[in-house]
Amino acid sequence: MIPVLLVTVPLLAAAGLLVPAARRVVRGYGLAVSGLVLGLSIALAATFDYARPAAVQAEVDVAWTPGLDLRFHLGVDGISLPLVVLTALLTALCFVYLAGRPSRRMRALTVALLVLEAGMLGTFVALDLLLFFVFFEVVLVPMYFVIAVWGGPGRRAAAVKFILYTLLGSAVLLLGLLLIWAQTGTLDMVDLARTHGSGMSRGAQILAFVAVAGGLAVKAPMWPLHTWLPDAHTEAPTVGSVLLAGVLLKMGTYGLARVAVPVLPQGAEAVAPWLGAFAVIGIVYGSLACLAQRDLKRMIAFSSVGHMGFVLLGFATLTPVGMNAALFGNVAHGLITGLLFFLAGGVKDRYGTSDMTRLGGGMLGRLPYLGSLLTFAAVASLGLPGLAGFWGEMLALLGAFSPGAGLSRPLYLVFMAIGGLGTVLTAAYFLVMLSRVTHGRPDARWRDARLPDVTGYELAAWSPLVALTLVIGLWPKSLLLVTDPAVRVLLGVVP
Amino acid sequence: MGLVALVVGLPFAGALIGIFAGRRAAPYLAVIPTGAALLISAWLAYAQAAAGPREATLTLVETGSVPISVSLGLDGLSALVGVLVTVVATAVQTYSIGYMRQEPRYASYAAFISLFTSAMLLVVHAADLLVLYVGWEVMGFCSYALIGHFWEDRANSRAAIKAFLVTRLGDVGFLFGIFVLGISAGSFRIGDVLAAVPAMSPGTLVAATLLLVAGVAGKSAQVPLHTWLPDAMAGPTPISALIHAATMVAAGIFIVARLYPAFVAAPPTLDLLAVLAALGMLGAALAALAADDLKRVLAYSTVSQLAYMAAGLAAGTRDGAVFHLLTHGAFKALLFLCAGAVIHAVGSNLMTDMGGLRRGLPVTFPAMTIGFAALMGLPPASGFFSKDVIIAVTEHTAGGEGAPLTIWIAWLVYGVALVTVAVTAAYSTRAWLRTFFGVRRPDLAAHEGPASMVVPIAVLAVPALLLGFAGLPFAGLRPDLPSSLLSVGASLAGAVVVWTAWRRDPESDPARVLGPLRPAAEQAFYVDRAYHALFVRPVAALARLTVRADDRVVDGAVRGSGRTAVGAGGLLRRLQAGNAQAYVTGVLAGVLIITVGVVVLR
Amino acid sequence: MHVVYPAVVAALLFSVGVYGVLARRNAILVLMSVELMLNAVNLNLVAFDVWLRDRLHGGQVLTLFVIVIAAAEVGVGLAIVLAVFRNRRTVDVDRLRDLGEPEPVGASPGEPEPVGGGPDGRAGDAA
Repeated sequence: MIPVLLVTVPLLAAAGLLVPAARRVVRGYGLAVSGLVLGLSIALAATFDYARPAAVQAEVDVAWTPGLDLRFHLGVDGISLPLVVLTALLTALCFVYLAGRPSRRMRALTVALLVLEAGMLGTFVALDLLLFFVFFEVVLVPMYFVIAVWGGPGRRAAAVKFILYTLLGSAVLLLGLLLIWAQTGTLDMVDLARTHGSGMSRGAQILAFVAVAGGLAVKAPMWPLHTWLPDAHTEAPTVGSVLLAGVLLKMGTYGLARVAVPVLPQGAEAVAPWLGAFAVIGIVYGSLACLAQRDLKRMIAFSSVGHMGFVLLGFATLTPVGMNAALFGNVAHGLITGLLFFLAGGVKDRYGTSDMTRLGGGMLGRLPYLGSLLTFAAVASLGLPGLAGFWGEMLALLGAFSPGAGLSRPLYLVFMAIGGLGTVLTAAYFLVMLSRVTHGRPDARWRDARLPDVTGYELAAWSPLVALTLVIGLWPKSLLLVTDPAVRVLLGVVP
Repeated sequence: MGLVALVVGLPFAGALIGIFAGRRAAPYLAVIPTGAALLISAWLAYAQAAAGPREATLTLVETGSVPISVSLGLDGLSALVGVLVTVVATAVQTYSIGYMRQEPRYASYAAFISLFTSAMLLVVHAADLLVLYVGWEVMGFCSYALIGHFWEDRANSRAAIKAFLVTRLGDVGFLFGIFVLGISAGSFRIGDVLAAVPAMSPGTLVAATLLLVAGVAGKSAQVPLHTWLPDAMAGPTPISALIHAATMVAAGIFIVARLYPAFVAAPPTLDLLAVLAALGMLGAALAALAADDLKRVLAYSTVSQLAYMAAGLAAGTRDGAVFHLLTHGAFKALLFLCAGAVIHAVGSNLMTDMGGLRRGLPVTFPAMTIGFAALMGLPPASGFFSKDVIIAVTEHTAGGEGAPLTIWIAWLVYGVALVTVAVTAAYSTRAWLRTFFGVRRPDLAAHEGPASMVVPIAVLAVPALLLGFAGLPFAGLRPDLPSSLLSVGASLAGAVVVWTAWRRDPESDPARVLGPLRPAAEQAFYVDRAYHALFVRPVAALARLTVRADDRVVDGAVRGSGRTAVGAGGLLRRLQAGNAQAYVTGVLAGVLIITVGVVVLR
Repeated sequence: MHVVYPAVVAALLFSVGVYGVLARRNAILVLMSVELMLNAVNLNLVAFDVWLRDRLHGGQVLTLFVIVIAAAEVGVGLAIVLAVFRNRRTVDVDRLRDLGEPEPVGASPGEPEPVGGGPDGRAGDAA
C-alpha cells in the first residue's frame, strides 16, 4: 500500500496545483506534501521487517495490461529501502530550502519537483521492468524544465544536452529490456532475479547486458558517457542540482543492481572488466578534471563522476562486498553531494558567483558556519573514515582486491591500485578547493557586501544531511545490515 | 573493557561538545576529558600488568566478504602507548591554555586536539585492523586541521594540504596491506591475523608488510614520505609537540610493533625498512644541523629519531623500539613545549634571533637542557638508555644474531646509527648553544610564560630524565657496556666539534662545519624540489590536459554527433527546394522505378 | 479500329503533358499540361471501354467524372495563378519557392549553441 501512496501522493498534489483556482500557491504547500511523503517513507522503513531484508515487502501486484502481460508490481526490499528514504528526505529538504529562499514561478517549480519526486520514488519501488522504465523516463521531463527555466546563463544548451543524451541512453536501455522480455517471456524483476538468467543464452545475455548497462551508464554516469553532467549540474538551480546529483544518478546504478547484474549474470561476467576499466578511468579522470576547475559547482559535478566511478567499480567486481560497496556509496554520495550542492548554492546566492577565483578566500573568517559546513562536506566527500563516504570506497577497493569468479585477478588489482590513487587525487582537489575558498584572507571586493551567514531555514535543510553522514559513517552497519542479505540473494550467493 | 571504551570515548565526547560549546567552556572541555582518560589509562596499565591481554567486541559488521569486528583490546603495548598519548595530550592541552590565550578560535583548536587524541587512542586500542585504520585516517585529518589552524596565511594551508596528501598516499598502501592480511587470514582482527601468520605464504607476507611500510613511512615521516613533517611546523607549537613528536608519528612505529610477527616473517621488508631508516636517520640529522628555524631542527630531529626506532624494529628488537618511542615521546614533547616557550618569549622561530636566553627562562632552560641531553643520549637522561638498546641490537644483528637482515644492510645500519649519534649530538649542542648562550638581542626582555605553560614543561621533564631507569628491570632494556661507551663517545665527539666551532666565533652558525654539504643540507637534499617537479607539476599539467580533452574530445564527440545529425538533416533539406516541379519529378521517378521493379523482378 | 491506336495517341498526349508539367516555367502552361494529361487519360478510358465492351460503361462514366474534376481544378488553379500574379507580378514556377526550407544562417536553429562553462577561462565569463 505505501509504495502506491509514495507514487500517487506527489502526482495528485502536483495535479492539484495545476487547477486554475490554485493561482496563488499556498505557502508551504510543497513542503507539506514532501513532508507527508517523507513521513510515508519513514513509516515504510519502520514497518520493514529487518529480519528478512532480502524478501520483497509492502508488495502491490495487480494486472496492468493483461494483453501484454504487464503488471503494476511495486515493492521494497533491502536494496531499495535506503534509496526510497533518501529520495523522500532530499526532496523534503529541497522544499525546506525553498521555503527560506523562494524562487520565482514557485507554483511551476513545485509542480515540477513533485512530479520529479513521483518519478524518482516510482523507479525505486517498481518491480516490473517496463514500469521501471516508465518511471525512469518520467523524471527526465520535469528535470529538463527545472534546468531550462530556473537555471543559469547556459541553461538552454545544458538542458537540451541533458535530456537528449539521457533519452538516447534510455532508448538503448529499452532495447535491452525488450530483448530480455523476448527471451524470457516475463517482465517481473523478482522472477527474473530468481531465475538468474537461465532462460537466456550467453550471447543474448551479453547483448542485453551491453544494452541495459550502456543505457544505465549514461545516467550513472560512466566515463566516457558523462559529459552531460558537468553542464547540467552547473547550470541547474540549487534544488535541481541537489536532486540531480543526489537521486537521479542513483537511478542508473540502482538499475545495475536490480536489473542488469542479477538478471544477466553471464552477460555481467563477460562485460564486467570493461565496466571496471571505465569506472577507474572515470575515478582518475574526474579527479584530474576537478583539479583544474575554476567553478565550484562544476568541480562538484566532476567529483560526482569520480564517486560514481567507485560505485561502478563495486558493481564490476561482481562480489557481495562489491555490491554492498556500490549501494553504500550510492546512499553516501546522495547525502554528501546533496549537501555539497546545497552549500554551493548558498555560496552562489550570497556572492552571486561560484567562480573560485572571484570568490577569493577567507570564508571561514567572513562566514564561519558556511565555511565550516563546506569543510565538513568536502572532508566527507574525500572519503575520510568516520564519515559516510569512506565505507563505500573502501569496500569497493576490497571487492576489487578479490573479484568474483571468472574475472581476471591481476586486472582487478590494477583497478584497485588506480582507485587508490584516485582517492589521493580526490583528497588533493578538495583540499585545494578548501584552501582557495575558505582559507586566506577575505578578498577586498567583498568587504562592503552584505553576506549573511547560514539562516535558520538553511540550517534546517542541511543539518539532517550532516547528521546522517556522521551516523552512517560511524555506524556503517545501519546500511550494511539491510543491503547485505538482499545482495547475497540477488547474486545467488548462499550466505 | 568498558574502561577502554571510556578512554577512547571521553576525548571524543570532549571534542564533539567542544565544537558547539563556546570559548569560555573550552579550556575545561579540553583538559578534563583528556585528564580523565589519562587517569583511566594509568590504572589500566597497572591493572593489565596483572591480568594479561584482553579484548571485547561490540558488534560484527557483515560486509559481504571478510567481516569487520568493532572491537577494542588491551595489552601491554597498548597500555603503555596509551599512557604516553594521554600524558602528552593532557600536558599539551594544559600548555595550550596559556599559549593560545589570545587566540579567538581556541575552542575549535582544543576540540580538534581532543578528536585527535581520541583517534590516536582508537589506533592504540583497536583490536581490528579496519577500526585501527579509521583512527589512523582521522588522526591525519586532525593533523591537517591543526597545522592549518592559522589559515589566514595560505602558506599554513599549503603545509597542511601537503601533510594530508603525503600521509594519504602512504595510507592507500596501508589499506591495501590490511586487505592482503585480512583476506589471507579470513578476518580483520589483529589476533586472528597474527595467529594466521605462520600459515601465510612468504609472498603474501612480503606483499602485505611492504604495503604496510608505505603507511608507516607516511605517518612516521620516513624516507621517502618524510617531506611533510618539517613543513608541518607551520602549525602552533603545542600541536607540534603532540602530533609531530609524540603521538601521530609514533603510530607507524606502533603498528610495526603491533604486527611484529608478520614483519619478522618477511625479511625483505625488514631489509627495506632498515635501508630507509639508515637514509632517514643520517639525512635528517644533517638537515637538522643546517636548519635555522628551531622548530625545523626539532622536526628533522624527529624524523631522525623515528628512523632510529624503525632501525631498531628492523634489527629485531620490538621492545627496544617501543622503549625509545616512549622516551622520545617524553623528551621530544618536552623539547617542543620548551621551544614554544622560547618562541613565545622571543617572538621568532629563528635561532639567529635568539641567544643568551638562559637567564631569562629559569624553568625552560634546565628543562630544555634535560631534553637535549636525552636527545643526545647522555646518561642519566632517558634517551641514553633507549638509544643504547637500539645501538646494541644493531651491533648484534650485524654480528649475525637477531633479526634475519641481510648482513651488509645490518652493518650499514649499525654504522650509520653511530654516525648519526655524533651528528645528533652536534645539532643538539648547536641548538642549545645558539638559543641559550651568546649575546642576547638588546631589545629583548625574555620571561617565562604563565603557569599553564610552565607546569607541563616541568612535569614532562621528569620522565625525560628518569624514564630510562624504568627499563632496568627488563633484560633487554639494560645498557650494554661496550656499545654504550661507543655511543656516548660518538655523542661527545659531535658535541665537542660544534662547541669548538662555536667558541671560535659565537656569532656565526656552527653549521659551517658541514662544509660543502651545507647548502644541500639546508634544502634537505632537494627532495622537496624533486617531488614538486616529479609529481606536483605533472599532475597539474595532466589536470589541465584532462579538462581540455574532456571539452574537445569527449564532449566534442557528443557535440559532433549533434552536428552530424543536423548536417544529415541539412542534406535532406536540399530535397525540399520549394520547386513543385522537382517534387513531381521525384514522384515520377519513383513510380517508374517501382513499375520497372514489379515488371522486371516478377 | 484496334485499341492500340487510341492507346498510343493517349500515351503520346500523356507524355507531352508530363513534359509540360515538369519542364515549363509558366504556371498557366503547367495547368494546360495537366489538362493534356487528364484528356489523354480520358481518351484511354473511352477507348478501352469500347474495346472491352463494358456493359456498365464504367470507362465512359469515369471519363465524365474526370472532365468535371478537371474543369473544377482548372478553375481553382487559374484563380490561384491570378492571385499569385497580382501579388508577385510573376507566374514563373521556378521563382515561387516559399514552401522550401530556407538555408541555414550560421548555426542551424536545432543545434545547441556552444556551452558556457568549458575549461578554465570560459566558466568565469559565463558566471
